[in-house]
Amino acid sequence: MIELIDVHKKYGRKKVLDGINFTVPKGEISTLIGVNGVGKTTILNHIMNLQPVTKGEILIDGEKHHPGIYDKVSFIPDAAITLPEMRIREAMDFMGSFYETWNKKRAEEMLGFFRLNKDDKIKTLSKGNVAKVNLLLGLALDVDYVLMDEPFSGIDIFTREQISEVFTSYLVENKGVLITTHEINEIEFIVDRAILMDEGKILREFNVEEIRETEGKSIIDIMRDVYSPYSDRISNYEFDKQ
Amino acid sequence: MRRQFNQRDPIYLQLIDYFREKLVSNQFKPGEELPSRREIARQFNINPNTVQRAFSEMEEMSWIYTEPHRPSRVTQNTELIQKIKKDFVRRAVETFVSSIQTIDISYEEVTELVEKELSKRNYPNGGIKK
Repeated sequence: MIELIDVHKKYGRKKVLDGINFTVPKGEISTLIGVNGVGKTTILNHIMNLQPVTKGEILIDGEKHHPGIYDKVSFIPDAAITLPEMRIREAMDFMGSFYETWNKKRAEEMLGFFRLNKDDKIKTLSKGNVAKVNLLLGLALDVDYVLMDEPFSGIDIFTREQISEVFTSYLVENKGVLITTHEINEIEFIVDRAILMDEGKILREFNVEEIRETEGKSIIDIMRDVYSPYSDRISNYEFDKQ
Repeated sequence: MRRQFNQRDPIYLQLIDYFREKLVSNQFKPGEELPSRREIARQFNINPNTVQRAFSEMEEMSWIYTEPHRPSRVTQNTELIQKIKKDFVRRAVETFVSSIQTIDISYEEVTELVEKELSKRNYPNGGIKK
């Protein structure tokens, strides 16, 4: 499990993260939800140790960060990570020579799964196909945890459906998955846990099936409660008048 | 096949409802092999842990059984299936009765309407027998 313990981040005086606590268990899909700029990507960067925290601790299977962690966690960012001149197969070879955990067979399978042509140059690909290449490169690593930054943003509906199939497939089986998103429709039925953030803080963390069972609410209902506490009163008021 | 799930009810219960419908309409036959949990998760695009939960509940109720390293199968207990069917009809009747109970209408008129409705339909998998 990945544990974040009282994580703070400041840029000068600006607080980006203000005491973040949560865990990413194995075998579950967790999602960090919040509008742009609340610190979701910063959290992923911290987990990967790409930027230092101001205060607090991040443990991966009980260990503090060390280079071996990169064999345990893979990070799939929302922008192209390969050189635009590369062909897909060159990017795959590059990953294969860099990571011992590269699973060549799975990478080849995913080319079919995503219907990608490995001779295509990265710079000629659509945004949706660049996202698929990123997923391929990240998911072909034999790791225990996968972090994905906004896997659905700015991507057409059919590609989104294809990407959402990743989460019900063997590709993430038994792994601890953490995705950030502000598009809820895609993930409502896919995730185990939702973590709602605003302004560097966690406002609410819950198991989505449990909330449906105990409160009869969807993720979006809980978001309404948390982010706009008066919306309920307004809609009841209008309903009473009729 | 993409079944539309409701976002506010637990998905595992909606999945059990789906299996109930298949079972009572004989679309799942006694002893028939079920698709794997992962296959169902993929088909419906829902969380695999949720599918697992529905399967556990259905095993608990003995609707399905799983031998080690084999796909799950539909129960062969015909008495149990008969009971599930009866419960299903009882629930439907409850809904029907409660939705018309405020209406001023005679029992004879209601049965006449039910008969009429029945005669319009053709049931491939059995249907209501006299």
